[in-house]
Amino acid sequence: MEIWRTAWRNLWRNRRRTLVTLAAMALALCVMILYSGLLGGYLRDMERNITALEVGDLQVHAAGYLDDPSLHTRIAQPEALLARLRAGGYRATPRLLAWGMAAAQESSAGVSFRGVELASDSGVSSIHRRLQQGRWLDSADPQGIVIGRQLARILAVSPGAEIVALSQGADGALAAGLFRVRGVLQSIGDATDRAGVFMTAAAFRELFVLPGGAHQIVVRRPGTLALPAAAQAVRAAAAGLDVQTWRERMPTLASLLDSARGGMLVMFFIVYAAVAILVLNAMLMAVFERIRELGVLKALGVGPGGVLALMLAEASLLSLLAIAAGAALAAPFLHYLQVVGLNLASLAGVSFMGVAMNPVWRAHVNAAVFAEPILALLLIVAAAVCYPSLRAAFLDPVQAMRHS
Amino acid sequence: MEKQQTPQPESIVEIEAVTRVYRQGAHEVHALRGLNLQIARGEFTAICGPSGSGKTTLLNVIGALDRPSSGSVRLEGRELGNMSQRERSAMRRDRIGFVFQSYNLVPVLSACENTEMVLALQGVPRAERRAQVLRLLGEVGLGGMEQRRPDELSGGQQQRVAFARAIAAQPAVVLADEPTANLDSENAARLLDLMERLNRERGLTFLFATHDPRVMARARRIVRVEDGRVAQDELRPVA
Ligand SMILES: Nc1ncnc2c1ncn2[C@@H]1O[C@H](COP(=O)(O)OP(=O)(O)OP(=O)(O)O)[C@@H](O)[C@H]1O
Ligand SMILES: [Mg+2]
Repeated sequence: MEIWRTAWRNLWRNRRRTLVTLAAMALALCVMILYSGLLGGYLRDMERNITALEVGDLQVHAAGYLDDPSLHTRIAQPEALLARLRAGGYRATPRLLAWGMAAAQESSAGVSFRGVELASDSGVSSIHRRLQQGRWLDSADPQGIVIGRQLARILAVSPGAEIVALSQGADGALAAGLFRVRGVLQSIGDATDRAGVFMTAAAFRELFVLPGGAHQIVVRRPGTLALPAAAQAVRAAAAGLDVQTWRERMPTLASLLDSARGGMLVMFFIVYAAVAILVLNAMLMAVFERIRELGVLKALGVGPGGVLALMLAEASLLSLLAIAAGAALAAPFLHYLQVVGLNLASLAGVSFMGVAMNPVWRAHVNAAVFAEPILALLLIVAAAVCYPSLRAAFLDPVQAMRHS
Repeated sequence: MEKQQTPQPESIVEIEAVTRVYRQGAHEVHALRGLNLQIARGEFTAICGPSGSGKTTLLNVIGALDRPSSGSVRLEGRELGNMSQRERSAMRRDRIGFVFQSYNLVPVLSACENTEMVLALQGVPRAERRAQVLRLLGEVGLGGMEQRRPDELSGGQQQRVAFARAIAAQPAVVLADEPTANLDSENAARLLDLMERLNRERGLTFLFATHDPRVMARARRIVRVEDGRVAQDELRPVA
């Protein structure tokens, strides 16, 4: 169409102004794409840390356990439920939980004991790969335990050290055992870092005199299934038991992660507001400089729609160029952030609301990382372009041509 | 009464008791004060008069650019005063050719593109209008300059492009507001020669608003406007 050719030429009438506006738009878009990618990566890592390291997608407890976590409130037949879940494509592992004390040579601390079924746990949680020192549990070493990083510091122990575990068994008698530290975990999350003591399920049962049952079943859903659907299916399979998603287990964190996306929108509009002002200025100038010419067009019989189309075509071309330039500029940086990432080693061990942050912050790249900032830019440009274009479209040709 | 022998030439423009009042803040400017005028097909008429007498206003009203405050303006029998914006816009596109003092070409478009603009608006197919426009530009003496932008053309050449643009869509009337004011005598003569020829050969109707004696010397009718009214209306013998 003629309109696009004319718009293209008009765009380059004031080369410098167009280039400045274009550069600002492209730069803002580039920043927002990188920001969006990093935020996406952060949210993904947070969710992964929550679901893959500790909480799982879903947790099953015996009714009443969460309100009053007692050694005696157990899922009586975990094997049947586990079999049913696994048949449905879920990964699931039972856990045994208790509180007590751990004493080393120098000091002691209140701890949370966790009995882990090694074979199934490694399919559910990646915690066995998150060791800072030593090695993960081994069924051949029933006295070996793995402890949280903070706890190791409090107790001043490292792999090889002996620890005495003290608590009360299910039989009401004192439960005491001598263990040896096999491994110390990386930062996992506040609770685990400060108090986590992992042992094999068999060792746990012996220490606490617990022949059967489990306190908790941690469930990971099949990748294709959405969380609410998975929750519904697991609830149906676990009648009489208490099934919660990680979002229900950590509601504050879940809503915080949700609102991070909203925060990004706010950020978009703040960064783009500056761009909008530049675009508005450029378009107003373009209309003002050309007021006589636009009057002539209208005198020759170009209707308001035609003038509007011309102005919008100019804005569209400008936006397209800005999108191409901004995306091209962002692509290599985004690739770097995705592959290499930002090294946060200096912040090692920092956690956010009890969930550890990864030492390397990588961007997550998908279509939305580009689409959302581009869409926001287009919306802002459309808003900025409305007024100048409408002014141009509805100007009075006689007045416009008297203008010199 | 006997019927007239010679048929009354068809009126293209009929203006009756037209006023145009501009409001400028508190006071009013009466640009036209009850003006009457008829222009027949094929006329070559100059409207003259002192500055501020209402010449431009009159052309704007005839050209459906401006609306009279009262009175009636008919173009080819159609009343312009009560037309909608859209109808007036279509009227300008299809029935009126404008030539302005300062050429007013679109600077980013070539001579050819400027000339074919109205045809494009009318939806004439590309190849057809190209052929038409190339012929027309040749006719106004701009053969070989079709691809030049306005800033690559002299003032006289630009005004001839503007003229080609005005007549490309075969308007009922060409309204030219001081078309020669920015031209030297050679270019003015060339433009006027061209206009006279098209008036003669094609019966194209011309209405000038001008102070220029070079234009008035060629006009076959001179309407003198003073104070928003016709003060004198004089037919001149064809030279
Ligand atoms: N848009 C307007 N707003 C206010 N006043 C106007 C407007 N257009 C014209 N006028 C006034 O109306 C009167 C007639 O103006 P017009 O332009 O028609 O005169 P003209 O005969 O063409 O003059 P010139 O020979 O200088 O071109 C003048 O007093 C002018 O100031
Ligand atoms: Mg005038």
